[in-house]
Amino acid sequence: MEWVLFALIALPLGTTLVFMLIPSRYSQLVRYTALAAAAAMFLMSLLVFIRYEFEGGSGLRFDLQLDWLENIAFLGENGITLHLAVDGIAAPMVLLTGIVILAGVFISWNIDYRNKDYFILLFALVAGVFGVFVSQDLFFLFFFYEVAVLPMYLLIAVWGASSNFGTFVRTKEYGAMKLVLYLVAGSVLIFIAIFATFTEAGQGTFDLPVLGEATYGETFQKTFFPFYMIGFGILAGLWPFHTWSPDGHVAAPTAVSMLHAGVLMKLGAFGILRVGIGLFPEGAQFWSPVLMTLGVTGALYGAVSALGQKDLKYMVGYSSVSHMGFVMMGLASMNSIGVTGAVLQMFAHGVMTALMFANVGAVYDQTHTRDMTAFGGLANKMPRHTAFWTIAGLSSLGLPGLAGFIAEIHIFVGTFQAGYYWAGALGILAAAITATYILRMLASAYFGPFNERWASLKEMRFREQSASVLLIFFIVFMGMWPKPFIDRISETVNNLPGIG
Amino acid sequence: MGEVWLIPAIPAAAFVALLLFGKYLPRRGDWLAIGAIAASFVIFFPVLIDLLDNLDQPDFTGGGRAWEWVSLDAFNIQLGFHVDQLTIVMLAVVSFVALMVQVYSVAYMRGDPRYGWYFAMMSFFAAAMLTLVLADNLLLLYVAWEGVGFGSYILIGFWHERRSAAEAAKKAFITTRIGDVGLLIGIILLWREAGTFDISEIFEFAEGGGYSAEYLTLAVLLLFAGAVGKSAQFPLHVWLPDAMEGPTPVSALIHAATMVVAGIYLVARMLPLFELADPVALSVVTAIGLTTVMMSVTMGLTATDIKRVIAYSTLNSLGLMMVALGSGSVTAAMLYLFAHAFFKALLFLSAGSIIHATERQDLTELGGLSSKMPVTSVVFGIGALSMAGIFPLAGFWAKDEILNVSGDNQNWVVYVFMMLSVFITALYMTRLFVRTFTGRPRNHHAQEHAHDAEPMMTVPLLLLAALTLVGGFVAFGSVGEALGFPGGFGEFVFLEEAEAFHFPWDVAILSTLIAIGGIAAGVYFWSGEAAPARRAAQSLRPVYRTLANNYYLDDAYQWVINHVVLAGGAVIGWFDRNVVNDTAVDGSAGLGVFAGFGMKFLETGKLPNYALAISLGVIVISIVFLVVSV
Repeated sequence: MEWVLFALIALPLGTTLVFMLIPSRYSQLVRYTALAAAAAMFLMSLLVFIRYEFEGGSGLRFDLQLDWLENIAFLGENGITLHLAVDGIAAPMVLLTGIVILAGVFISWNIDYRNKDYFILLFALVAGVFGVFVSQDLFFLFFFYEVAVLPMYLLIAVWGASSNFGTFVRTKEYGAMKLVLYLVAGSVLIFIAIFATFTEAGQGTFDLPVLGEATYGETFQKTFFPFYMIGFGILAGLWPFHTWSPDGHVAAPTAVSMLHAGVLMKLGAFGILRVGIGLFPEGAQFWSPVLMTLGVTGALYGAVSALGQKDLKYMVGYSSVSHMGFVMMGLASMNSIGVTGAVLQMFAHGVMTALMFANVGAVYDQTHTRDMTAFGGLANKMPRHTAFWTIAGLSSLGLPGLAGFIAEIHIFVGTFQAGYYWAGALGILAAAITATYILRMLASAYFGPFNERWASLKEMRFREQSASVLLIFFIVFMGMWPKPFIDRISETVNNLPGIG
Repeated sequence: MGEVWLIPAIPAAAFVALLLFGKYLPRRGDWLAIGAIAASFVIFFPVLIDLLDNLDQPDFTGGGRAWEWVSLDAFNIQLGFHVDQLTIVMLAVVSFVALMVQVYSVAYMRGDPRYGWYFAMMSFFAAAMLTLVLADNLLLLYVAWEGVGFGSYILIGFWHERRSAAEAAKKAFITTRIGDVGLLIGIILLWREAGTFDISEIFEFAEGGGYSAEYLTLAVLLLFAGAVGKSAQFPLHVWLPDAMEGPTPVSALIHAATMVVAGIYLVARMLPLFELADPVALSVVTAIGLTTVMMSVTMGLTATDIKRVIAYSTLNSLGLMMVALGSGSVTAAMLYLFAHAFFKALLFLSAGSIIHATERQDLTELGGLSSKMPVTSVVFGIGALSMAGIFPLAGFWAKDEILNVSGDNQNWVVYVFMMLSVFITALYMTRLFVRTFTGRPRNHHAQEHAHDAEPMMTVPLLLLAALTLVGGFVAFGSVGEALGFPGGFGEFVFLEEAEAFHFPWDVAILSTLIAIGGIAAGVYFWSGEAAPARRAAQSLRPVYRTLANNYYLDDAYQWVINHVVLAGGAVIGWFDRNVVNDTAVDGSAGLGVFAGFGMKFLETGKLPNYALAISLGVIVISIVFLVVSV
């Protein structure tokens, strides 16, 4: 079974090669190839999740180590190896990626302009995402991280949409450039910290398990944890480094927004957990009040900002900032309940935000507007679409029985347990504000008397419904039976250093 | 009987089945929903008998059972069910009223395009509500609590094409959610010290002195915030009158008999903690309850929508129950809850019959219906008299008990206001009856086809009316014993020690006289052309307008929402775009561009310039080295 992780990275990369061999006039063939590959990735990620074996301890499953460079120059034994493995934190993330890419391919069906190039970039991005989640080597983790970020530029700048909001204009070029430059700025911090870590450990290897055994001085940890925290935090939408996110989403095509908010932002939080907290627990402990403050600020700030938006994508974009703030709170609690909650929230938010963007896209494709005040009573024409939106929204506001509640309750309980009463209380308040903006949006756009301007509106297409049903299945599954997720995550989290 | 979990599980299964296959079933599956709630009602009896057989065993959990839902370190959520006397009362009320309402709905909702969806959501609501009362731990209670809130949201907004219905649904959910912020914080605070969500374990922990008094007071007041939202107490009561936008059977079930009393149930359930906390906690409960009572009875005087008047009477009743709890009496609160469920459901369902028959619900368009709808007028009258507290109806015994316990507390302010509320209650209930059923019809068009509803709707009315007539007698020990209970309601529903029903004649006679006075005044003011009422409204114009505008609370809240909350959202959104992004982010990018622009002038391409720069550099470095080494 070790091959499965290698295959998860090789399949999307290999598929990009296949795309290159298909003449671009066969656009339908491109679509079906993409669908087949995405379905295979989904099944493999499901396999990784289901066949995850509980063995206690922090063991690595599906462990595969391929030597690349060793014993040359500054590198010692196992210097840089393609070391792939999943643990309880990575397994749900791999599954999340599989789900979102399959849904994303369904949603990307109506891309007509150079759809071959589009899928090549999309699949390269996904290969990078899988790579980050399964890498146990810091060098490759960073490599895949960059692979995941850079295709974003072209995907947004070429296939995105510019918007004129009257008082201000956001072009797709602007959104794409800001996003990528911002994330690259974060990468610079990460890059510095990686070399500092490598040097301080003095093992001549980038292998994460080996680096995890090494000892780092307390001052060193306190100095370099913020590099990881902010460097990865930028991608996770850490307040106040979040502004690339709403503008990026507004500019991006639907499926890119789905992957971006659904999966890419999780890479940032994952990086903080895997590298930052995993290597520098004392540094994390020292900085956790700051991370908690930034997290809860982001949660409230994002929710209040979302309340002030009229554009659906901006609303969802700010809601992502808010929900990623919850993830930061969970991480900052530094106890097993809170950190488990953070990983649960990464999964839950990934699925429900993908669903939200898929639904925004379905309306935007037909109406060419995202202004929620321009709608009204859309439930009459699109009952299923309304149901999907409602489920995504209810999960996001933390209704029990859906995924968001399970994640948020862990985070809140963990935050209180860590003694941050004020942060826990403000977090719960932020969840209530979420209810306000979600229900306001539903009431103004979907309920009430039907706005005859949209008389020609049709129900979502079958493939869009399929994508939504796939995502909803996991929202309900995790909400109803969270045990498979919690068992996997907590098994690893409880063995992380510094987690009380 | 170890299968208590079946009581909520059957309606839950019906919900899932209706959701997935509802449209393929004959009659859209209404029979499935009704069959499910009927099954729950039937299962209730063996559970009750089992409890009666085991009353003397302190550890008896009524055949409760628990499954692990979430388990991580000290954080455990159990799907745990537990039966005690408090639960039994709630189970009886919820399963019976839900059954009546669903049967009634078959006729009331006939022909609705979303008929199947209605019954699916009714099943969902029943499942959530039954889970709420059976939950043995606070987090499962919270889960069910949010579940009933969601059911209420969907059912208030059931006719979501109406702007007012969509807005009312949103308002109800968000307003109760504000209270739930407190509830969840309170639950987590209790958990943090005790390390468990289990209610009885929390009690043990608290009795062992585990919580400091301040901590416990804060926690119970936060729990109470949740109850204030759900049970529509001042200042979060504003959602309930608007919630009347839902179909009338929904109002009867959710916004009268069951969901809105969840807050009462919560406080009753957690009362041992309130009593261990600082006395200020119970004083807050009393004060909030009394404020709710006084506001609602006065607003009931001016409302003209028949359903809104009944909604104010529900606020009135909920406030009374809170006052009872504030006096520390679970018995009085639960007796009222029990009686209220029947007569309030009766009032709503009769109102539903009127609306169904006339398609009007404003008092200005009704009147003189008693000849057209004799059965409805009689059962409505029974409900109204019970609400007004007239002997021997259920409401009389229950209200008197609350008067007793509030009188026992030696707090004369509370007592006087309670007596005043009795008068006003009788006054506005009389107004409602008089304006609806007597006098001349004010809109003949609406009356033309009015007649008593069909048996499917009338039978539930008659059953509820019968229970309103006799239900109050369960308060007496001998009646309870005759039915197989170990004494009356008071001895049955206790938490720590038996709390007997007592019946001082002086209070009963006084309250009855006051209520009769209210009725007489109501007849005087509103019978016929209601000229005295008009004159009173004219001469007390500011008072009238304040009441008719609900004390301007809705306006005030709307102002806060528009000028504080939404304005805050717009300001933060503006700040994020213009300050954080355009100034800080784009500004720093612009700084880079500007720096590059400035630097390019150093690239002259002339060798002498570079030679000069190199020489200067060497000199500077030399000086630095000299300084450092010295």
